[in-house]
Amino acid sequence: MSGSKPDILWSPHHPDRYVICDSELGLYRIGPVGSAEAKAGTLPLSEETAATLLAINSDTPYMKCVAWYPKHEPECLLAVGQANGRVVLTSLGQSHNSACKELVGKEFVPKHARQCNTLAWNPVDSNLLAAGLDKHRADFSVLIWDISSKLSPETSVAAEKIRLSSVDLDSSTVVTKPLYELGQNDACLSLCWLLRDPKLLLAGMHRNLAIFDLRNTSQKTFVNTKAIQGVTVDPHFHDRVASFFEGQVAIWDLRKFEKPVLTLTEQPKPLTKVGWCGKLTKGHSNNDALIYYFVFWPCKCSFKMINVVVSLLCACIMLHGLHTVTIPMQVSHMKQCAEDMELKLQGNVQSVVYSGIKNIVKTTSGTTETRRCWSGSDRQTDVPRYHSEERCLALRLCGWISRGTDTDVENFLRSLEQEHEWERAAAVALFNLDIRRAIQILNKGAMAEKGDLNLNVVAMALSGYTDEKSSLWREMCSSLRLQLKNPYLCIMFAFLTSEPGAYDGVLYESSVAVRDRVAFACMFLNDAQLPRYIDRLTLEMKEAGNLEGILLTGLTKDGVDLMESYVDRTGDVQTASFCMLKVPRQITQKSALHAAVGFTFMFTGSYQPTFVFVLWQVFVSCNFCGKSISYSCSTIPHQGRGFSQYGVSGSPTKSKVTSCPGCRKPLPRCALCLMNMGTPVSNCQGTGKSDEKVDLTRENKLAQFNNWFTWCHNCRHGGHAGHMLSWFRDHTECPVSACTCKCMQLDTTGNLVPSDSS
Amino acid sequence: MELHILEHSLKVASIEKEGIQICTHGLIKLAFLASKTRCKFFSLTETPEDYTIIVDEEGFKELPQSEHISVADATWVALNVVSGGSNTSTSQPIGVTKIAKSVIAPLADHNISVFMLSTYQTDFILVSCRGLPYILNRLEQMVNGETVAAHNLGVTNGFVKPKLVPRPIIHPLSSPSNMFCVTSLDPDTLPSVATLLMDVMFYSGGQKESGASSEDSNHIRFFSFSLIEGYISLVMDEQTTQRFPNNVLFTSASGELWKMVRIGGQPLGFGEFFVAVVPEENIQSVIGALRTESAAQ
Repeated sequence: MSGSKPDILWSPHHPDRYVICDSELGLYRIGPVGSAEAKAGTLPLSEETAATLLAINSDTPYMKCVAWYPKHEPECLLAVGQANGRVVLTSLGQSHNSACKELVGKEFVPKHARQCNTLAWNPVDSNLLAAGLDKHRADFSVLIWDISSKLSPETSVAAEKIRLSSVDLDSSTVVTKPLYELGQNDACLSLCWLLRDPKLLLAGMHRNLAIFDLRNTSQKTFVNTKAIQGVTVDPHFHDRVASFFEGQVAIWDLRKFEKPVLTLTEQPKPLTKVGWCGKLTKGHSNNDALIYYFVFWPCKCSFKMINVVVSLLCACIMLHGLHTVTIPMQVSHMKQCAEDMELKLQGNVQSVVYSGIKNIVKTTSGTTETRRCWSGSDRQTDVPRYHSEERCLALRLCGWISRGTDTDVENFLRSLEQEHEWERAAAVALFNLDIRRAIQILNKGAMAEKGDLNLNVVAMALSGYTDEKSSLWREMCSSLRLQLKNPYLCIMFAFLTSEPGAYDGVLYESSVAVRDRVAFACMFLNDAQLPRYIDRLTLEMKEAGNLEGILLTGLTKDGVDLMESYVDRTGDVQTASFCMLKVPRQITQKSALHAAVGFTFMFTGSYQPTFVFVLWQVFVSCNFCGKSISYSCSTIPHQGRGFSQYGVSGSPTKSKVTSCPGCRKPLPRCALCLMNMGTPVSNCQGTGKSDEKVDLTRENKLAQFNNWFTWCHNCRHGGHAGHMLSWFRDHTECPVSACTCKCMQLDTTGNLVPSDSS
Repeated sequence: MELHILEHSLKVASIEKEGIQICTHGLIKLAFLASKTRCKFFSLTETPEDYTIIVDEEGFKELPQSEHISVADATWVALNVVSGGSNTSTSQPIGVTKIAKSVIAPLADHNISVFMLSTYQTDFILVSCRGLPYILNRLEQMVNGETVAAHNLGVTNGFVKPKLVPRPIIHPLSSPSNMFCVTSLDPDTLPSVATLLMDVMFYSGGQKESGASSEDSNHIRFFSFSLIEGYISLVMDEQTTQRFPNNVLFTSASGELWKMVRIGGQPLGFGEFFVAVVPEENIQSVIGALRTESAAQ
């Protein structure tokens, strides 16, 4: 609770300035080491950078905490909390601002003196300054001062005089009446205003974290915890808060405030400060005090720092889930398309599910080349277009054509129009050699609400298209297109002005979505060019860690590499883990598995490889209590028998368990024999005496399966599997009278019957 | 309102005035070199009769054994009353008055002795370790009993609370003339005033003796220093505060001073000896109230 610790504050507006608070305040500026000669007050920070002392302020003795005014003006205004609980406004460097001059020197004095532990400026209502004080018998520990408040009101003058006589102060600058008083009879150790609502203040009190609401100061939300130091809210995610206690960091979600969502394990040394990585900052230590600062992920120096930096960083970014919605959707779309394809290409050696366009186009065969006319005119184009099954699938994966046999892009164009992506729609139409449609789309775009009238100009330019090689149109378009801001408009003219087969202007326009470029390549590149382009693009995506590239790589080894590079770049472990969980079991490539486990490890902070696999568990649950009928049996000691005992064992006569072991309610009845499930099948139809001679093992297997629970997913009627099988051998309708469900026809595999029972 | 049982197990000792020299080494260590010991609870109170030490078991090891030191057999446990986290709307500032009413008085009714220690920051109620389970049980019953009583009140509408039976006050009262200041200081500035504090703590006797003739008999020698969980608290008379440099002591904005009500002039043994400080402006009413009760008795 005592002892002043040196602290570092980064300027809220200048990334190269910071203040060191120790016994005095020092403002430093970071610059390259060369520019500043060996001046006094220059501190080398690294090989390239040094900090120059700009200003120093030692007006405020007994300094305990400092907070930097969050607004631009006045710029260098600081609030200093002192050992006796007073908060003084001071500034560093020269200030010409009159507002600042008025404020500097203002003091805010609590009723009872005690140490000021923390200060926090309200980020929105920046004249509010919250101060957290130590405990006093009956006084409040959180005081919110209004820095713009008029000085001591008349009523308090009498009391003021007594005090002034003892501590001789300049009464003109002293404020003694706080705007709000919170947290009576408690100590406040850390404070932070919540970003989601500037009226909410989070305070680390003596034994709990409390959220005060200024609109209703009598109410507070609180949670008991030891981690009450250094509360700080994530600037990117306003419901997330970190706090610490000695070497432990707790991450809280304000929406579920009962307990921390994550606790980072104990660090060998007590922490001094935690922060969210928001901007590029560098650690700076002073007087051997450990100050932890958070450095953005790609910065290599983060790895030099102690574990907590890295692990907390994971935790910070992990929950961001930058792409959780879009990417998994793309993955499942990929699966659907590929499944369609697989049905068509039955007998294909390689499974194409999840394999990505890179693999798909590799196996391309039977490519046909067509030269189509510009639609709406009979002029022959000299642009060859390529077709094959694989290319068609790739186009589907890119979303240009829908599932099924239809190869028309009209649906896609319409959806783009609906989303007001006029330029993209026009480009797609043009690539499908429908120049008239492209012009029409551009017109529509210009006419639409908030439409860009320039689109009409582009449409005019487009309509002047000529395939004359040396025309003025061609010459002007190929040079002026680079000035078009929209990449899609730009590639449209690139396409029209380039030679067939040489579409670099389209293919390497990096601001065009990868899927559009790939689709374009699938249409216009020949069998030699296409794989080369796709390989190159894949490599590019992998290096950049661009998740769009998953379209090319699929969830293969390449995909894992891509994901790794993505995580390295962004630290977004959540998205990566989520995608990796989608990797089907048949692709149990070592690397994929390792990556999944690795991401999970980063995600949870502990090695839990089972996490990946538990998702596939199913069980039969009781209708009444909802418990698994196999699970609850193990909880009853005297009946500690495995699931095999419940009607599925090889000794049917012994199993008499016909009720749920959890709640003792009877299990449902078989629709055919009307016995409760769990009763063994005594005499299956068709199992006559003649069958008695069949060998026992086969008999047992059959009996096991016959006793299984079976039910229709539609009408929910069912019974013993054996009974059901024999019923549906002759019927299509449900055995339950008055139920007209055609259970067996609902399922495409319904016609299959076990080979045994045929 | 929450009652916290703190982890310290405390010893209470009385050091005779003559014997203070042999203890100064240990006491200085406990008071000013807290980082050199594992003591987390230390309180030293000087009264005209003796020095009273309250210290946890770790700190107790620092004190020598001597015939001048008498130690109470029991180990004490400190209870701390804080306002509950949940309902700040209903909770009043929790002062001694409220604690006395809700915790001490019920215990007194069951003949359980408590030892009260007030500091700048908070109040501690010390109860004997052996009696703790019993005390908790009692308090629990009282809490339950209260709710039942309240319930009964609601049901039988015309129920009248029995009049409070005045508690007997056996010991004579006196109020010394000097005024006191309850204050604190930043632990970081402690070294700068350490010599002064040592002087006040241990050498006041001689100084006072020299001027004893001029001193009015009503003047009482009282000083208290406590260092509990890193927090320092001081109680000293106004004259002593004048000796400290400006801005070192934490003073309240209203500059409030306290007067003392002394119950029982002679040492009465633990549990009965009692000193209270009350705000200066209330002193007459407090004494008046106590006298009335004595008279009624």
